[in-house]
Amino acid sequence: MRSQFRLRIRIVLAALIFVALLAIGRLYYLQVIHGAEYDQKADRQFASGGGGLFDRGSIYFTRKDGTLIAASTLATGFLVAINPQVISNPQSAFELVSRIASTTAISKETFLAAALKKNQVYVEVAHHLSSEQGAALAAKRIPGVQVLKETWRYYPGGTLASQSVGIVSYGSGDELAGRTGIEAKYNDTLVRSGDSLYKNFFAQLFSNVGNLLVDTENVREGDIITTLEPEVQTRLENDIKEVNQRYSSRESGGIIMDTKTGAIVALATFPSYDGNNLQTVNPALLGNPLVEHVYEFGSTMKPLTMAAGLDAGVITPQSTYNDTGCITVDKYPICNYDHKARGVVPMEEIILQSLNVGASWIATQLGQEKFRTYFTKYFGEKTGIDLPGEGRSLISNLSKPQQVTYDTAAFGQGIAITPVQMIRAVGALANGGVMVQPHLVSAIKLDSGITRSLDWSKTTQVFSAAAAQQTATMMTALVDTKLENGKAKIPTMSVAAKTGTAQLTDGRGGYYTDRYFHSFVGFFPSYNPRFVILLYTNDPKGVQYASETLDATFLDLVHYLIDYYAVPPDRGVALH
Amino acid sequence: MRNVRLPFHMSSVSLCSATVGALAVVYIGLIAVVMSYAAMTVEFSQSVKTDEAAVAVLESQYLASVSEITHTDYRALGYVAPVAKIFVPAKSVTALR
Repeated sequence: MRSQFRLRIRIVLAALIFVALLAIGRLYYLQVIHGAEYDQKADRQFASGGGGLFDRGSIYFTRKDGTLIAASTLATGFLVAINPQVISNPQSAFELVSRIASTTAISKETFLAAALKKNQVYVEVAHHLSSEQGAALAAKRIPGVQVLKETWRYYPGGTLASQSVGIVSYGSGDELAGRTGIEAKYNDTLVRSGDSLYKNFFAQLFSNVGNLLVDTENVREGDIITTLEPEVQTRLENDIKEVNQRYSSRESGGIIMDTKTGAIVALATFPSYDGNNLQTVNPALLGNPLVEHVYEFGSTMKPLTMAAGLDAGVITPQSTYNDTGCITVDKYPICNYDHKARGVVPMEEIILQSLNVGASWIATQLGQEKFRTYFTKYFGEKTGIDLPGEGRSLISNLSKPQQVTYDTAAFGQGIAITPVQMIRAVGALANGGVMVQPHLVSAIKLDSGITRSLDWSKTTQVFSAAAAQQTATMMTALVDTKLENGKAKIPTMSVAAKTGTAQLTDGRGGYYTDRYFHSFVGFFPSYNPRFVILLYTNDPKGVQYASETLDATFLDLVHYLIDYYAVPPDRGVALH
Repeated sequence: MRNVRLPFHMSSVSLCSATVGALAVVYIGLIAVVMSYAAMTVEFSQSVKTDEAAVAVLESQYLASVSEITHTDYRALGYVAPVAKIFVPAKSVTALR
């Protein structure tokens, strides 16, 4: 009896071992010998319906009340594909299809040309059909016509902040990825592994158990929350566009930044583009000149020269110099814009009257070493803004021994910097001498549900708070007394500003005498600022000075921001 | 060493067979649950994405409205800028008593 039992046990064990060996052998055959082949096959079959729907995280604007509004998201709809081998009468098939899908969505030429490809079984002929159109077309059951679900990148704001948000497109390969803007900078966060949405859970469970415990890809996948405020962005774009069109400029741009945090609430350039219609976009517009291009800014540099002089102690607000209208340095003439002498004038007049001779005088007082040190602190490094392709400043002239290069740099000629570097440096005047890190993304909303704030707290003290305040006082006096002949003064709000008009380089080592780069920087309230604003327009026609092109735009934005954010008045308010 | 006796009469082979049968039923049940879960996940994911796309359309309308308002010349509509602004201390909206 016992021996029979043992025999049975051995038979059962042998059977089990045999089955196990079979299973192991089969597994070896499938996973090792034909592993790669089945891997590819599985990739093709992994997604259900539509064959691998495009998936990607969203990018959000943040309204002032914290509401998130999509800047870049996914749209869903249907595509139409045909099997040319099945379609016998392409003309009638097209007529049936076009009754539902408009002829703008589906081209007759494309359809008929696709129907001629008799050696193929699948040709896509139309994209982005609405859900209603897709359902109606599918219900028709036209032989040889397939209606499949699809998703695509969609920008609800159209042109809104397009150069900051960026685009998604195919590069040299067949992979859809962010190519410009935030789409590119945060591609690793926005990209989805392709199996996250329409995955075959069962297949994943048994093929990759480890990833269910710790999915390294899902840990970093999320949505991007920007600091861009959609209504302020709209206002800035509108104003910039008006300036550009009125003066037929080559391009115009503007940045509005929170002075204390470096959060950029609006960043706009014109001309721009609509990311939803990339087929018609000029590729030259895809970049972001505010970050990538360098310009000679002209007199908007003078407040920074002033702050350096005050901080170094080589001048005080009460210092005076003899303005002769023109000086000669290293055999080069440096003149005020009107070539007129002012005589003995205090420092404030250098800002109020935008005196080039005065700025050069401060540079001489500073000496080359100190001047270079300050300007290297301002512009020596990239800002680290979270947009791709940030340009590097051209300040190599400050390594030369000729004094003229320092004297001209003092009023913004001979050195070239990016607009975002400029607003960061001017922001230090508004922020007690501390430069903050400009940024567009405040947080990442991870797929796990956690919102991770990004750390932008790195700051650099470039001059003292006293130097910043003294310079801000001069810039405030400019708005109160000079801007639009004093009419720009806001009785209830102190505003600091400076205009800049720089001659454009002619590319042959000289400057055009009749072509200019206009810039405007300012912040408010002057002594506890909320926002710093930078505007520029490149090569405006029929106008010489920035005060003529950008005054109104700057003031419009200041008034708008005061109202929109209910910035409390800081002066001239009667207490009841 | 005493043989362990089961409280009921059943051979070891029968016991193994019953266990294997039970495990097979559990395994098939598990597969059914997992497959149902997978189907529901896909359905819900699609539903979420469809809803998000619908929200995006609404957001697009909102942003278009913002743009339209920004482009509106209020003077052309008969509105005028205030002659003066008077600032007064804000009163508490909670009306504490």
